[in-house]
Amino acid sequence: MPKELSAIEGMLNEQGYIANRSIAMSIFLAMRLGKPLLVEGPAGVGKTEIAKVMAKALDTRLIRLQCYEGLDATHALYEWNYQHQLLYLKMEEGKATTSTALQENIFSDTFLLKRPILEAITQDKSPVLLIDEIDRADEEFESFLLEVLSDWQVTIPEIGTITSKHKPYVIITGNRVRELSEALRRRCLYLWVEYPDFDKELAIVQGKVPGIDPQLSIQICKFMQELRQMKLEKAPGVAETIDWAAALASLHFTHLDKEIVEDTLGVVLKDWQDIRHVQDSLSELFDKVGVTKRF
Amino acid sequence: MSQPLIQRQLSMSANIVQFCRYLRTKDFRIGPEEEADALRSLAFIPIGDQETFRLALKSLLARSRMQQEQFDAHFDRYWKELEKAVNAKKEDKADGSAKRSANKKSKQESFQALKSWLYGKGKEDEEEGAIASYSAKEVLTKKDFSAMTDDELRLVMRLLQQIARSIIRKKSRLPKPSKLKKQLDLKRTMRYNLRRGSSIQRFLFSEKKDKKLKLVLLCDVSKSMDLYSRFLIHFIYAFQNAYDRIDTFVFSTALHQVSDILREYEFTRAFEIISERIPHWSGGTKIGQCLTDFIADHAHGLLDKNTIVIILSDGWDTGEPAILATAMQQLQKAAGRLIWLNPLAGSPGYQAEVTGMKTALPFLDVFASAHNVESLQKIVPLLRKGRSRLSR
Repeated sequence: MPKELSAIEGMLNEQGYIANRSIAMSIFLAMRLGKPLLVEGPAGVGKTEIAKVMAKALDTRLIRLQCYEGLDATHALYEWNYQHQLLYLKMEEGKATTSTALQENIFSDTFLLKRPILEAITQDKSPVLLIDEIDRADEEFESFLLEVLSDWQVTIPEIGTITSKHKPYVIITGNRVRELSEALRRRCLYLWVEYPDFDKELAIVQGKVPGIDPQLSIQICKFMQELRQMKLEKAPGVAETIDWAAALASLHFTHLDKEIVEDTLGVVLKDWQDIRHVQDSLSELFDKVGVTKRF
Repeated sequence: MSQPLIQRQLSMSANIVQFCRYLRTKDFRIGPEEEADALRSLAFIPIGDQETFRLALKSLLARSRMQQEQFDAHFDRYWKELEKAVNAKKEDKADGSAKRSANKKSKQESFQALKSWLYGKGKEDEEEGAIASYSAKEVLTKKDFSAMTDDELRLVMRLLQQIARSIIRKKSRLPKPSKLKKQLDLKRTMRYNLRRGSSIQRFLFSEKKDKKLKLVLLCDVSKSMDLYSRFLIHFIYAFQNAYDRIDTFVFSTALHQVSDILREYEFTRAFEIISERIPHWSGGTKIGQCLTDFIADHAHGLLDKNTIVIILSDGWDTGEPAILATAMQQLQKAAGRLIWLNPLAGSPGYQAEVTGMKTALPFLDVFASAHNVESLQKIVPLLRKGRSRLSR
């Protein structure tokens, strides 16, 4: 295993992100080849976290572009501050400013609102650009993004073309709301993140909730692993595991029992049909997890 | 002369290029750029460590979840084949040319098979193109789904997606200028007034962006209907970008929401999961009860005047007609348009004689069949916006 690769793994671990080797490898290659990394996986497995941890580890800025239906270029690149421009125009009324001078003033940096992509291009040190939930944006936005990702320059008609001096590290995440275009996939390296296995999840919980009783953390993780085996509408992610562990730890529990689980199931499951379903098969679950019943 | 696909290569880079070509035959889309990336990565990946090497190629060449899952198997297979090819070459040298040519021949044969498979596939693609332009293959488009062979089904599935894609009209995201004063467009206001000096003379407006349609599918998956439901869901999902959201439910004796499964998994896999989870019942569909459940649990969040509700069923209801009637009435009130597709309606001389169907008819905006490709094409305009409520 090359040194740099272990260095990245170590770096991630240091920041509290328990990465497996395929995650470390993808990040390593994406950084070395200067390509965006497209991360897909079920909700709550820590896709967004990858970008956050990367920014921390590289000690650089994290710039986030949250995608949503109807997101367009102006929200991603730049916008003129129209309100201020209008006010400025009003103020200049009656003064003897020439039309060209006025135009120059109005379309200057003062009135330019930088949106995430322009922001990322104009940094002094390569930032991490997180494009979150790209599949929520329209297909047209995706094509627009392709252009930016290949050229790293933005043209503002009134000012000119701005080219990036330091290429950002790009992390794109998706929840598979819709299928992403082949073109975007080809521009990126691809990483599929699965739910962590028991050992990894245990390490995550013990890392994130330091004061937790070891016995309790083992039971929680086993329980979560079993839950994901059940066919639920919304399988719980790692985020839920951490929430649950933190909640139970703060209540100073040392082990799971039926009552505790029933009372706190809402932390883990967010769908009422799932909750009902799990409640029905709770004793069966406990058998699998190996919790001794105390009634 | 055609070369066998997997041959001994002398350099690592030649091997990688060959591996990429091998993956291409496995439906991996790998272009020169990916190949270049893989070769560039050699500079900083130790190729001695096979595990690291495999991981690196995997992150570079697999571009979807499915491909990532398949990659390891392909990787192992390739290097195994390669080893064989190397061994064969050694043997060749020992045994002389007679064996070599025999060996070559068999290899060539297998390559021929592969080639003809590739070629055959190419031809198939052409055929699809022809159907998609509605010109040829009338037969297939008119054939009932239930009478098709497996191959035809696959072909038609792909055809449906193509039709759907060609039909979706692209809409611009830019706001349209409008004289109907709806939303202040500061951008245009700014530019307009600047041209005329510094004072603000007038405000400009643009139309509000159109809200997209929402679609709710309720599919009967009792045994007689299962096949048709599959097609309809497939068909509708090919349009998914044209809609704000699509929610899919399947029912036989009980109602199940399957939108998440369809979103999460690739299509065939999604159906395996759905049929694992939901028992089929050959008789006894409780349409009325299922629709009532839908209204009670989901209608509040899902239905409004921008929603089209499509029910696909043969109308065999074993429950009380009164329950169905109430449910249909409520649906009609809450939804923008109510469509019922009945595959049986395609057969000549069909009349809605089943009680369930008779009960539901008065509440429908559209009643149509959906038993073959042609009939699905016909319902496409109904799935678009901009038409007033249609009367039957």
